[in-house]
Amino acid sequence: MTDQKIEQELKDRLSLIETMIAEGRRSTESWGWAFVFWGVAYYIAIAWSSGGFGGPTWSRNYLAWPVTMISGFVLTWIMSARKRSKQPPTTIGRAITSIWAGMGISTFIIMFSLGYSGRMDLHIAIAMVGAMLGTANITSSIILKWKMQFVSGLVWLAAGAVSCFLTENQAGILFLVAIFFCQIVFGILGMIADARERKTSGTAQDVSHA
Amino acid sequence: MPELPELNPVIHGKLRLALLSLLSGVEEAEFTWLRAKTASTDGNLGAQLLKLEEAGYVAVEKKFVQRKPQTLYRMTEKGRAALTDYVGALRQLLGSAI
Repeated sequence: MTDQKIEQELKDRLSLIETMIAEGRRSTESWGWAFVFWGVAYYIAIAWSSGGFGGPTWSRNYLAWPVTMISGFVLTWIMSARKRSKQPPTTIGRAITSIWAGMGISTFIIMFSLGYSGRMDLHIAIAMVGAMLGTANITSSIILKWKMQFVSGLVWLAAGAVSCFLTENQAGILFLVAIFFCQIVFGILGMIADARERKTSGTAQDVSHA
Repeated sequence: MPELPELNPVIHGKLRLALLSLLSGVEEAEFTWLRAKTASTDGNLGAQLLKLEEAGYVAVEKKFVQRKPQTLYRMTEKGRAALTDYVGALRQLLGSAI
């Protein structure tokens, strides 16, 4: 074998290692749908709690957030379990899941306590949700090295902080805008990026010649 | 350029190298997932995984999930060290060519 051929073969081996490692890690990056899903869930809860749906079933406004959030958790768990069964677990995936699960459970417990004790205030709610979602997004973005998510986290943090200085109506509008950009738009962009990556990386690489 | 024999022959096989690289990025993986990612046949894949297992580079766990048999493969510390050494040797051999 000539030196040139040997060199090319060694380069091919290095390239194969990089491709396969990337292929294994790709499973942690398909989460765009979850952002869109939760953005829609927030909108449903807001519309329901403000009496936007009308009718006898939807008149129990106090149920809006608990019911929507619990349903959201259950559906997210089912959908992610279906994804997990097709993909092997990764350390990065476990880290990201634990951040979001911890954030979700903590937020739910505090919001439920505030609501049940009658101390719920829109400013407090938006500031807390903004801080929690901001922290979770920024932490995930640092692990995944995903700049777009880092910006999304900063927007959530800013929305939480700014809402403290606004009127109730202004804070409510700011919350709706933050949901639109940080959940719906960000989620759709994430889904597009996932689809593009799947298309370019293609399917299995034939390495069956041992 | 130095000769190829300096590279670990267990890892140098294309399919075995692909398998170790795949396993380095995940905690554990099913036989079917590895087969799909490498586009290999059951027989060939099983034989190459056995070689890696005999070298102590991968650990195997067989269990039943909802009454279906499942074979899980996990990279061992020895396997991780061997892959790291192999990549180091490759880079050394290629030198300025990369």
